[in-house]
Amino acid sequence: MKDKILQNELKYENLDHVDKGIVDKVVRGGYTRRDALKLMVATGITMAAAENILYSGSVAYAATPKKGGSVRMANPIHGPDDQTDPMMFTSGIDYARGRAVLNGLVQHANDLSPQPELATSFEPNSDATEWTFKLRKGVEWHDGTKFTADDVVWSMNRHLSEDSTSVIKSVLVTVKEWKKVGSHEVKAVMHSPNSDLPTLLGMFQNKVIKDGTKGDWIGTGPFTMESFQPGVKSVHKRNENYWREGANLDACEITAITDPVARVNALIAGDIQIMSNVDPKSFRQVESASDRVTLLSTPAALQLGICILKNTKPGESDDFVKGMQYIQDRKRVVKRILKGKGSLGNDTPISASHGADWCSELPQREFDPDKAKFHFKKSGYSGADLFVAPVTAGIEDTCLLAQANCAKIGFKLNLKKVPNDGYWGAVWMKEPLNVVTWNQRPTANSQLALQFGPGGNWNDTFWNNDRMGELLSLSLAETDPAKRHAHFCEMQTLVHEGSGMVIPAFSNINDGIANNVMNMPTVPLGQCGAMEWPEFIWLA
Amino acid sequence: MMKQMVMQRIAIGFATLAVVSVIVFVMTSWLPGDVASIILGQAATPETLAALRAQLGTDQPLIYQYIGWLGNMATGDLGISKAGGATISSLIESRIGNTMMMAGLVALISIPISIALGLWAAMHPGTWLDRMVTFGTLSTISVPEFLIATILVLILAVNLQWLPSTTYLTGEETLGQLLKAIAMPLFTLVIVVSAQMIRMTRAGILNVMNSPYIEMAILKGVPRKRIILRHAFFNAIGPIVNVIALNLAYLVSGVVIVETIFSYPGLAKLMIDAVQTRDLPLVQACAMIFCGVYVVLIILADVASILSNPRLRQPK
Repeated sequence: MKDKILQNELKYENLDHVDKGIVDKVVRGGYTRRDALKLMVATGITMAAAENILYSGSVAYAATPKKGGSVRMANPIHGPDDQTDPMMFTSGIDYARGRAVLNGLVQHANDLSPQPELATSFEPNSDATEWTFKLRKGVEWHDGTKFTADDVVWSMNRHLSEDSTSVIKSVLVTVKEWKKVGSHEVKAVMHSPNSDLPTLLGMFQNKVIKDGTKGDWIGTGPFTMESFQPGVKSVHKRNENYWREGANLDACEITAITDPVARVNALIAGDIQIMSNVDPKSFRQVESASDRVTLLSTPAALQLGICILKNTKPGESDDFVKGMQYIQDRKRVVKRILKGKGSLGNDTPISASHGADWCSELPQREFDPDKAKFHFKKSGYSGADLFVAPVTAGIEDTCLLAQANCAKIGFKLNLKKVPNDGYWGAVWMKEPLNVVTWNQRPTANSQLALQFGPGGNWNDTFWNNDRMGELLSLSLAETDPAKRHAHFCEMQTLVHEGSGMVIPAFSNINDGIANNVMNMPTVPLGQCGAMEWPEFIWLA
Repeated sequence: MMKQMVMQRIAIGFATLAVVSVIVFVMTSWLPGDVASIILGQAATPETLAALRAQLGTDQPLIYQYIGWLGNMATGDLGISKAGGATISSLIESRIGNTMMMAGLVALISIPISIALGLWAAMHPGTWLDRMVTFGTLSTISVPEFLIATILVLILAVNLQWLPSTTYLTGEETLGQLLKAIAMPLFTLVIVVSAQMIRMTRAGILNVMNSPYIEMAILKGVPRKRIILRHAFFNAIGPIVNVIALNLAYLVSGVVIVETIFSYPGLAKLMIDAVQTRDLPLVQACAMIFCGVYVVLIILADVASILSNPRLRQPK
């Protein structure tokens, strides 16, 4: 009895370092909560005590950030095309630098809700045709000048102009223009209502830059840009004049190590503290060095997709598409290729990570060679060419698996291996069968509109469905949760049944961090917590 | 005579540069996609593509782009990177020092070692020492450099933690720190380039050893050491300096794999990145540097062969 009481008083602070290690791992996402509870109960403590430890562990972490230190972070890609203009950001290293040096109007929390950043509040008018943003006062640019509404109007309107080269120009088509209302108030005038506007403003490219500039690394963010060498590295110092509490780190360096094996080695050897993008083939190596580093795996809707163009042969045959969908051994893809760090795909781009808008009641499509054989036969095709590039980890192996399973039912799937180099311009949306990946978008609506909006720029299976277009607008205006969910379910069913998209699986976002890096964000929109880390992490 | 030969070589060198610039320009433009479609990547739309091409001037016909580049080049202006907007001189400036430093250090270490080992092996052909050198060099030639590099990283950085796994230069380190930072790629490259030079030295000398005048010297009772150092070596210098020149040129332009594995910011990686983004002016600038280095090194090698071998000074 006494034993039990003592156990209930066990707290994180009283643990030895091994047990602390287990708790640390849960708190930071290394183990699932359930695994950790099992582990601790196995060592002889009660479930209640284990729960207690976990709770006090999270509190201990959340409560005691330490100031100081510096971090080096390595991405998978960089080069002379590293950008200085947020409007042109396309790669993780740009996003990380943007997050360190700049601020947006709005930022994403881990649950993807839009949080105020440079905007202190945002309100639509009654029919959502205008959004008013109140701006934070007393914010200064790194060069000492004051942040005002002019900066916001300049930054936001750059995406919209006729000759704009903005990467997200077509994401923002619903916005007509941004207008200054007062010195610290702006409004967005809409072409059509969009209740998701604040969430879209959290995107990497929507950072606020100084009036009249093209970025040039003068920002309002938690870090200043000390030196910027494209394709080499950037060096950042803490902005002591930051408008929020400010970064915990004194400095950080953002670079890339393009070779995936070298990147893992650098992490384990301690040359870098944050590593973006761990390949599934390296999971074991990272996990076996758990005394030094942790593998962070965040569930996300990072899709491994096969696009079958619906406007040409063979994809115009619905049976052909069905055959390709039934031949995917989805469970094996998740278990063997993604090493368990992923989730089943159901041939729609929406996953459980999209929250309430995911249609969980849509039946999971299973691996069924007999049905695949039946549909292939009905389609009249006995073979096809699939263009494969390593656009995301696991996609090539997924296609190889499909090829092997096709061979078993007498269907000849030829894999045409092509390099990543030039892929998006030369192969994707051009060859009748190709592979694709998309990072998760902040809302289910933007995700569906992106790939399946009729006539959209990135409708990568060329599937145009009028009902889909209607539902996309209806769901944006719908405020009743049940009706909204019904709209989303109908859209996912349409895509699942009719489009040319095969999505066997979603990959988690897998990054590596040194064990002393604390409070790493887990926003599922991109690697390293969608690069929200610079302001928030600290070193233990 | 010599002066005329060098002038002639320099003229040929410039002609080579001109031809290479055209070939590189045309070949790069044949690759699928252009700089605008690569920058925008998956996010490209027809309107943004057109806008970006107009902004970068890549909507002009290729011949105009080439003439524009040539005009800039003539005035010493390398232009602006199409992919990122940085000036090409700033991109190259930071890397050319790194590349030259690495090539220089590797040469400084590997050339004396290679010639010494090559000579040594040639002095004692057939002994266990010679066999060991032969075996060692053949093994390192056959093993690809990325494997050598990765094995070194696994042993020295990940397991023993003696050396950093990537070369991270801040520009403010002391000589000791600098050497420690670049030790791994330096070591890898020394292994890779020495093997070839050792073999060439040994083979070159043994080849000369078969000639009649060496036989004469042996019959006269000259010691083997003196035969090799006084008589054979200078006659074998021609092929040896040519191999050294090719290896040096490789160190400047061809070490992209080692640069990638150790994340060493050098010129070779810059050129590959430039090709991947179809950044024509940057590709051209790198190609001109590499081609120039080849031309200069080959002229130097020719001059060295002629100086060491008076027979070559007389045209046949």
